[in-house]
Amino acid sequence: MPVFKVPFNGYSVKFSPFYESQLAVATAQNFGILGNGRLHVLQLSPSPANPGQPIIELSSFDTADGVYDCCWSESHDSLIVAAVADGSVKLYDLSLPPTANPIRSLQEHTREVHSVDYNVVRKDSFLSSSWDDTVKLWTVDRPSSVRTFKEHAYCVYSTAWNPRHADVFASASGDCTARIWDVREPASTMILPAHEFEILSCDWNKYDDCVIATASVDKSIKVWDVRSFRVPVAVLNGHGYAVRKVKFSPHRGSVIASCSYDMTVCLWDYMVEDALIGRYDHHTEFTVGVDMSVHVEGLLASTGWDELVYVWQHGMDPRAP
Amino acid sequence: MAMRELVSGGAACATSGSSSSSNPLGSLANALLGSSSKTQQERLREIPTSTAIPSDGSASVGTGEPLSGLPGSELDHPLQPNAQGSEFLRGFRSADQHGLADVWDDIQRPQVNFPPEHVLRQPDTNGPPQRVLSSFLHSFVNSSHGGIPFCPATLPVLGLSAGDKQCIRDRSSIMARHFFADKSEDFINAQVNALLSSLEIDNDIRAPGPAFKRYQELEKYWHETHGMRPGPNPADGWVAEFAQHPVGHGDPSTWVQSFEQEHGANGWASEFEHEHAQLASMDHIRGATMPHLAAMEQTRMLANTLAQNNDPKFQNSKFFQFVSKMSRGEITVEDNQIKPATLSAPGDWATEYQQQYSGGQTWADQFLSKGPNGWVDEFASERGHVDDGWVNEFSKLHVNDWAEEFGRQVGEGTFGDSSADNWASAYDEYLNEQTALKQQSESSRGVYVFSDLNPYVGHPNPLKEGQELFRKGLLSEAVLALEAEVLKNPDNAEGWRLLGIAHAENDDDQQAIAAMMRAQEVDPTNLEVLLALGVSHTNELEQAAALKYLYSWLRHHPKYGTVVPPNQPDSLYYGDVATYFSDAARMSPDDADVHIVLGVLYNLSREYDKAIESFQTALKLKPRDYSLWNKLGATQANSVQSADAILAYQQALDLKPNYVRAWANMGISYANQGMYEESIRYYVRALAMNPKADNAWQYLRISLSCASRNDMLEACDSRNLDFLQKEFPL
Repeated sequence: MPVFKVPFNGYSVKFSPFYESQLAVATAQNFGILGNGRLHVLQLSPSPANPGQPIIELSSFDTADGVYDCCWSESHDSLIVAAVADGSVKLYDLSLPPTANPIRSLQEHTREVHSVDYNVVRKDSFLSSSWDDTVKLWTVDRPSSVRTFKEHAYCVYSTAWNPRHADVFASASGDCTARIWDVREPASTMILPAHEFEILSCDWNKYDDCVIATASVDKSIKVWDVRSFRVPVAVLNGHGYAVRKVKFSPHRGSVIASCSYDMTVCLWDYMVEDALIGRYDHHTEFTVGVDMSVHVEGLLASTGWDELVYVWQHGMDPRAP
Repeated sequence: MAMRELVSGGAACATSGSSSSSNPLGSLANALLGSSSKTQQERLREIPTSTAIPSDGSASVGTGEPLSGLPGSELDHPLQPNAQGSEFLRGFRSADQHGLADVWDDIQRPQVNFPPEHVLRQPDTNGPPQRVLSSFLHSFVNSSHGGIPFCPATLPVLGLSAGDKQCIRDRSSIMARHFFADKSEDFINAQVNALLSSLEIDNDIRAPGPAFKRYQELEKYWHETHGMRPGPNPADGWVAEFAQHPVGHGDPSTWVQSFEQEHGANGWASEFEHEHAQLASMDHIRGATMPHLAAMEQTRMLANTLAQNNDPKFQNSKFFQFVSKMSRGEITVEDNQIKPATLSAPGDWATEYQQQYSGGQTWADQFLSKGPNGWVDEFASERGHVDDGWVNEFSKLHVNDWAEEFGRQVGEGTFGDSSADNWASAYDEYLNEQTALKQQSESSRGVYVFSDLNPYVGHPNPLKEGQELFRKGLLSEAVLALEAEVLKNPDNAEGWRLLGIAHAENDDDQQAIAAMMRAQEVDPTNLEVLLALGVSHTNELEQAAALKYLYSWLRHHPKYGTVVPPNQPDSLYYGDVATYFSDAARMSPDDADVHIVLGVLYNLSREYDKAIESFQTALKLKPRDYSLWNKLGATQANSVQSADAILAYQQALDLKPNYVRAWANMGISYANQGMYEESIRYYVRALAMNPKADNAWQYLRISLSCASRNDMLEACDSRNLDFLQKEFPL
């Protein structure tokens, strides 16, 4: 299965919503603690005719600080948003040469930007979340943020737009809460004290707009129905260290992918009793990025601090040649 | 100013909050003219690939591209602190040989990249960790030795700029909290300190620790809800005192020394820190700043953790080796260079320590038996008057860890017998709290919770009374009477069933389920009970349970028993159950119950249109079933037809004016339409009829904040219904 070596430590990987063979990878030097960053755009070779190079690099963009996350635009096939550790949010247009990029650098966050997420319903806006405890809403046609959501008491590690409601998103924070927001409302509409430890990631079920998953430093993933948030719908235990990212499958409502500081990628079905349905131990350092292809069911990508990007089909060995 | 404007393209390209200037010439100008930026402590970041088009807001993005029309586009601003722009300056100076013109051209021609060695400080990251570190430190050295008169006051000659140090410090502390989740706050601080002291980063830059910040919100809540002045609260008081305690006792160093003599120098700091960490971490009590220990002691702690992780994968992790080497002093920083330590291997003291530690007694035991004077006792006696205030408040916060930790500490006798009574009483209080919580969770598991002080106990015929009250719509009273009935006759299925229905109509599905489960125990095939259980579980979004009961309903139904296979499969699939009911509906299209169940099933699968259709069919057969109108309304609300839903609820309320659930649902529908004021009135009405409807309280709170009626939140939190009813009459 294809593997690609990047020069820095991998931080995030995202499949393109437009092309099944493209993915973006965010990387940072020195584990993201200090140094530069680079955003890679990779192309999966369309056929096995080119076995020597199953993944080639289409382009890459350097940044002066680590890139912690990236997301593809849902409206333009060549636009990528990057979350940079220097507090900036940068927009890259793949159709332009690297020298003409980034086309925009949005400098408002006062600390590291840890995640970006593109609105899948309206397709004209995106969110950034930062260690400055805020979430900011941006549209591509404005040079400054539309709104700042400041309620969390500590780093906001991730945000996720609701797949069905254009104005609703969830945020996950180190203050041990997840919050549900409606951008039309002045304050968060729901505070979910989801874990006893920091919450690093959240995502919405793509088939049930009331269900979210949260991933925490407490090693667990919890699935919640926001209409009855006193008890989680499911608690998924099995990771040995903090769970870094959680992602609902675009194809099956109850399937979740996660990656963890225990260096594994896990696949879960929260509806069944033995929820853990897949475990991949292919990385040799912290695994911090995972994604599932919208185009090919079961196609997974992961990256980690071992500077490798893997793309593989669920059920296969990522490291198999 | 003019020159800066000229070269930097004017204010249009100045990013606020960043020390960067928009192009290299801009930084030259800043360097020459002196910086006007106030953000001098920003860390140095060099220019990766970005270009230097004078940015006037219409910077060329490339024509004909889909994004070229975006207004306000601007180029990436090289994040180069103006006064620290040594990279550029060096490039500039070297370029000087070739003439200024070249440089100018370079700057003007966006396509031209800076040579990689100027662009990226650390191109090589493939080497061993030392090399990585070495190369980045090299760059720091270079950058800070640029001789630019910048922040000399704040920075002694050090390899790292204040910004970099801040950066390393902040990021490593935040990340360490993810890696070492099992460890306590102070332990993590020690880890980070070890890393930092190896890099000669002082603690003078205080990174905001999340633990101190993490509960700010809760603190605020305390202050708000208990009228306490913000400021050091009692909790801080004792923690601070505790932290300072050794110092407060005459000569701390003698104390330390005597302990060291007894226990060996290697043990004290780590052990103290360990214990201290435990204490301070119970949990998240803020403010217990560790006395800063010598770097070597902290280093030991770090190595200790690393040694404790036996996973070979972790031992092989480059990241851990990187941290570990620095912490063990195998890499040292001299003259801002990374050097391998010259000393012989620092001894496997980590493992040694681990052995000693794991084999030995706990610190508390050691200390209590040998320690001079038992500081615990002293502390306890000194602070015998710690007021209970914070303890009470703290116990309300449901911090389980704290309780557990506390319990464990008490169990281990860490505090000694004489440990302050207030701690014990706090713990008791906490236990009570926990018991209450447990009761709640038990009820969620189907244990019925009876009301206290039931006036109907002893009533000659509580069932009849209950039925009568239920018929009159006095649900809360009916609940009490029916509870008296089932206390008297625990095997009365009808009593339990009616009790369950009363709870369901009172918008308390947890209790409804508990009562219905008792009814089902007594009468396992009662169709009404099975149906009610299915509906209640659907309301609570418990699909598996809901399917189980709906399936049983069908199986025990005299007409439809044949539709389903005789043996219940191990796991029920939604699709199967839905098929059975569709079959049943075809068998007898005039049975309202089947359509009701189908409607419930479609709610489970979120096929609201079908659900609405089913309920409407059922309503044609049973137009006076108020609960059916309510179901229709709820389904319409779920499918974003809130206006229709209100009509349906109105029907339900016309049939049964005291139908709490419909009142609350009405509120939800108004809230869904953004009519928060309206929704508040309905919630308050519902709560006036049944103040125990916890869900409705939650909804009310959300609506209050959405309506910007934060002034009423307190009344909501204290459940002051009189006040709310006056404010929001219906």
